[in-house]
Amino acid sequence: MIILYDIYSIMWREIKRYSKSKFGIVIRLIQPVIWIIVVGHTFTQTGPLIASVGFSGDYIEFITPGIIVLTSIFTSIFGGVNTLWDRRYGFINKVLISPISRSAIALGKMIAISFIATIQSCLILGISFILGVNMPHYLHMLLIIAIMILFSLGFSGISIIVASIARSQETFWATINFLGMPLFMLSPALFPLELLPSWLSYVAKLNPVTYTIVLVRDIMNNQAHTNLELGLTIIIIFVSITTIIASFVFTRDVKKPF
Amino acid sequence: MHSIEIRSLSKKFGNACVLNNISLQIKQNEIFGFLGPNGAGKSTTMMILATLIKPTSGTVIVNGFDTVYESAKVREHIGYVQQEITVDEYLTGRENLLLQARLNHIPNSLIDNRINDVLALIELENKQDDLVTTYSGGMRKRLDIGGSLLHKPQVIFLDEPTVGLDIQTRRKIWEYIKKIRNNLNTSIFLSTHYMEEADELCDRIAIVDHGTIKVIDTPTKLKNNFGNEILRIGIETDVDVKKLTSKINSIEKYVEKINFDNKILTVFSTNCEKIIPIILKSFLDLKIKINSVSMSKPTLDDVFIKYTGQNLNLENSGYNMKKEYRKLKNIRT
Repeated sequence: MIILYDIYSIMWREIKRYSKSKFGIVIRLIQPVIWIIVVGHTFTQTGPLIASVGFSGDYIEFITPGIIVLTSIFTSIFGGVNTLWDRRYGFINKVLISPISRSAIALGKMIAISFIATIQSCLILGISFILGVNMPHYLHMLLIIAIMILFSLGFSGISIIVASIARSQETFWATINFLGMPLFMLSPALFPLELLPSWLSYVAKLNPVTYTIVLVRDIMNNQAHTNLELGLTIIIIFVSITTIIASFVFTRDVKKPF
Repeated sequence: MHSIEIRSLSKKFGNACVLNNISLQIKQNEIFGFLGPNGAGKSTTMMILATLIKPTSGTVIVNGFDTVYESAKVREHIGYVQQEITVDEYLTGRENLLLQARLNHIPNSLIDNRINDVLALIELENKQDDLVTTYSGGMRKRLDIGGSLLHKPQVIFLDEPTVGLDIQTRRKIWEYIKKIRNNLNTSIFLSTHYMEEADELCDRIAIVDHGTIKVIDTPTKLKNNFGNEILRIGIETDVDVKKLTSKINSIEKYVEKINFDNKILTVFSTNCEKIIPIILKSFLDLKIKINSVSMSKPTLDDVFIKYTGQNLNLENSGYNMKKEYRKLKNIRT
């Protein structure tokens, strides 16, 4: 299975780069922490509101799963940007003339991004414990980690697709912002879906982020996992689709002169 | 078998014809130089040879494999050093080589030894565990070249290997290139627009311009074909010219023509370096006083200019003066 070795080689490089940028690791944590502290404490009065939709905790406990997923979304959707640099500075060409399989490049990058996003989300999870968020069963963290790995793989796929098609940094960032923010806002990250106008809640129900947040929230607050299967199925479908498209688009576009 | 065989290769990007019917063969263990101005099609040729882009028509065989139909086979045996520096700045030198070794599927048991050998060759052993961000431009280039050697390729492509480097570094890199050829027994296909580089390194040179090959030959032959070496000697007083010329003519092996005019003796020769001592000695024998000696030698620059045209700077960047002028005129009216 030489392709696994190739995926590992590409992944190894991405993770090496990540692990050497201690500053980058820390700086990426600041924004989610601000969300939890500022928004989490500002909206404490909404307690009755979220209780009315069946949530039995503080608002900060309501928002933390949303912010963990936010960290995962934005870390992974930004993660593909170095593909543009790699093409610009010839690194991709160097890889392309080696005997390595071409889809291994896209997959290796995606898995590395997903790994990095998961680490960042876990760090946020850890910080949220310090900030007073509780979990009934700490072993359930493993389940959350598994969901994060899978979910961020899907978003890293989106990032790779955009990075392959975009010819410039500007296009990349514009597209990523266009995709990232609505996906986050149209989910129950900050407020329950029940509070959305009904037509918007339909849109939100098409959003894979919605199911991920509901899953993580249920796990963290020990709610009945009524929609565990549905959530996992939707995430798996989402990941499969983006992986296939990313691998196809990357392999197609990377050959074009840059 | 030739290392590289190019048969009537053409490449078009849209309507622009970048390579027009190029054919050439590169022998094993040869350093072959592709010399041409910017935009002549050097990098395009190299990318086609390295399987990165497909030709519009024609065939390219590298190491016996077709670059289009057997590209995977070709990739196993080539090293390609791009014009840009492509090492990863955020990794150490050694990590860069490790990555490159893995990309080329070198068995794990061999990787360490190969990396050590390469580090010794490019003399970066002391810096191997430092981040590449701390390397100078020359060191990065050396690392880049080193990375392409790990899997012991049979053909190495070097795209403008010394562009943007100072002359000391450039000489160092020339040294490595010669070492690589001798130690690894590889063929090297090198593109450059530095004459002295082609002159110093290459066994044969192709001068390319506007996507066609103008001439292929050894640097020495190219220079000699272009014109003879010229020796001018200024003489103080009138002398017995006949006696002098007959004496010089006796070195007929190298002397082609002698002129004497206005106290200057001009000797056209195929090898001035050989005849200067002999001529000077004959002057001494005849007790003739010499005022000045100057020698001019055709350089590859002369050859290059001859084959690619004088107006290099305007033509080579795809800048069309007439077209630009017309554009300007349209703007004004």
